[in-house]
Amino acid sequence: MSRAKRIMKEMQAVKDDPEAHITLEFVSESDIHHLKGSFLGPPGTPYENGTFIVDIEVPMEYPFKPPKMKFDTKVYHPNVSSVTGAICLDILKNAWSPVITLKSALISLQALLQSPEPNDPQDAEVAQHYLKDRESFNKTAALWTQLYAGGDAAAANNGADPDEADLYGISQELVQEFESQGFQKDRIIEVLRRLGIKSLSPDDNDTVNRVIEELLE
Amino acid sequence: MTQMKSKTTPITSDYIDDPNYEKVHNPIFDSENISSFTLTEITDHKTDSGVLSQDSEFEIEDFAYSDDEFVYDDEENNETYDSMLSQPIKQITKKEMSEGSVPNLNYEVLTTQNIFKNMLSRLDHLQPVFNIPREDILLLMQHYDWNEERLLENWTERMDELLVEIGVSQKTSAVATSLEKKAENPDISGVKTKRGIAFKQSFECIICCEDKDTQTFSLECGHEYCIDCYRHYIENKLHNGNVITCMDCSLALKNIDIDTVMGHDSSKKLMASSIKSFIQKHNKNYKWCPYADCKCIIHLKDTSSLAEYTRLHFSPFVKCDAEHRFCFNCGFETHAPADCNVTNAWVKKAKKESENLNWVMSHTKECPKCGVNIEKDGGCNHMKCSSCKYEFCWICEGDWAPHGKSFYQCTLYTNDEKSKKKESEDLSKIMKKYTFYYRVFNEHEISAKLDWKLGQTIGSKVRALQEKMDVSWIEGQFLTDSIKILNEAVEDLSELLQIKDPEQIMKNKLEFYNKSGYVENRMYALMECGRDLLCKGICKPTD
Repeated sequence: MSRAKRIMKEMQAVKDDPEAHITLEFVSESDIHHLKGSFLGPPGTPYENGTFIVDIEVPMEYPFKPPKMKFDTKVYHPNVSSVTGAICLDILKNAWSPVITLKSALISLQALLQSPEPNDPQDAEVAQHYLKDRESFNKTAALWTQLYAGGDAAAANNGADPDEADLYGISQELVQEFESQGFQKDRIIEVLRRLGIKSLSPDDNDTVNRVIEELLE
Repeated sequence: MTQMKSKTTPITSDYIDDPNYEKVHNPIFDSENISSFTLTEITDHKTDSGVLSQDSEFEIEDFAYSDDEFVYDDEENNETYDSMLSQPIKQITKKEMSEGSVPNLNYEVLTTQNIFKNMLSRLDHLQPVFNIPREDILLLMQHYDWNEERLLENWTERMDELLVEIGVSQKTSAVATSLEKKAENPDISGVKTKRGIAFKQSFECIICCEDKDTQTFSLECGHEYCIDCYRHYIENKLHNGNVITCMDCSLALKNIDIDTVMGHDSSKKLMASSIKSFIQKHNKNYKWCPYADCKCIIHLKDTSSLAEYTRLHFSPFVKCDAEHRFCFNCGFETHAPADCNVTNAWVKKAKKESENLNWVMSHTKECPKCGVNIEKDGGCNHMKCSSCKYEFCWICEGDWAPHGKSFYQCTLYTNDEKSKKKESEDLSKIMKKYTFYYRVFNEHEISAKLDWKLGQTIGSKVRALQEKMDVSWIEGQFLTDSIKILNEAVEDLSELLQIKDPEQIMKNKLEFYNKSGYVENRMYALMECGRDLLCKGICKPTD
């Protein structure tokens, strides 16, 4: 009983604070336990100007149990699964407290985008990328924001499919090099992603051989 | 020679999980005394390295016979789970067998209550060092997973920080630690909220968003919520054993607060969960009794001897207060003479394969020629193996050709069970072998369960006799004792079979014979007693 009342109140609180640029809506009128929230990407990060939509499921025991949240918008972030949108954040798990609201949880997600925790990753591939080559990571994250979160270049990009290599922050030259050896592009990207290789120095023969070995399998 | 990955040892977890199983025991775990045991059940089966290799691969054919023997006797062992060794016999066994074997295990049987009591007594020693109320030390200990050393270390380094961090005191107040002290401590913020329950009219709780006249609870931090929400909150937190804090800050709820809010001794639950997580963390020294619903914990202070056990293929058996015997190393029930590796291998194999195997065994037949498993999903009994194209009769598994037009001659009953199947493939051979042993294992397990039930029935019958009939206590006692002694003797017998050293075997041969004779005599005595009771009309046969 208290759950419905509390959810309604939380909705109101979000509406009362338009400055926060947070939205909270029911997915359907008939089910008050399934919501969609959204917030803006924090400025000064690759997520800037993006609008991130979060799927929220409110459990029976809410607010004594945390709501289940996952990103609907694809996000390139060490603590967010790039495939499922699952989020690794302590307050959504054991550090949950009943005083936390859906709004404050969304703000925490915003803060998470601002300061990733690569040492406690949800997506190991992305976390690797973040730790190894921050610049390239930022580029990829910004690209994803543009593509999926309706970032500033969304209009410019409409229709055109993004390049697979760019999507995973893999350097074009590297892909081209293997392509010139007669391998399929999809396969090259798949292998490079699996091995966590984004770019290579030309004289790193060991790694090149490893990639080729994988490609030939 | 076919290699088989596991040896046949009748170990199942199902058996442990049998919900009826623990009922036979009179749980002593409520008793507060901590009893110490010295392990005496270990017998010498010093391994001849030629016979048993270090890994779990065994060449079954080498000692197929003895394997069988062991299976059988271990089963006997299973049948007598609820038995215990009588004291005199135990001592003899110990004397005779522990020579030149592994060191005795010194362990104690505890319960979470025991451990908590121990912790509390340690707390008394710590009190002079800390010089803060016991309740607060308890919080610190709980936070540090009862690790005194680490707590003391951190305490000396940064006492005040620690108190804030763990939520004993607020950031603002210095070392205000307890309810009593709070009154004396001038509050910096000025509006000091009282720790405890208050009654508020039209209080709006920000958790449930209800506006009502209600009791509220808050700590000194002033984060005040209605009592229902607080109860809900605490209830949800009791299970993980961590320190429970205020919903909005890190100030900790003490046991007294928890009990105040919950209205009963919920803090005990929390302490129990905390102790449980302590045991989980120290699972090298502490082991739960694996039997369902048994609350005993075995504490082995010195684990150094365990390596010796493993090396000699012994299993460190321990016995809890409820007389459950299990292996401290692997947590399975007693599995002598097999060692833990073998046991694990078998259990794993049985677990992995048993489900499939059960289905295969009950739904299929093997092609008489190529041994492929065939499921009959309809049609007549004229089968054609899709693998080797052999045509045969589903009923008699013989060649189809002679069946000719005289259909189903083979449905005539014959007692001839000679099957002349020849396994051509290695794979099917291994499977066969496994199936065979699994069957043996299964059968024994079933009979063990039945025997256990029988034991139960006899026990209750004896009690009924004593209560309702004119059977004297002595006579009733005789029956109970007989069963018990019988069980124990069987266990002893199986222990004698563990001896692998040839010299030891010779030495124990006589004892073995004596024991077998003893078991037999006992059995007759018991049966005679039952017969007498029947003859005299004291008992009546029932179904």
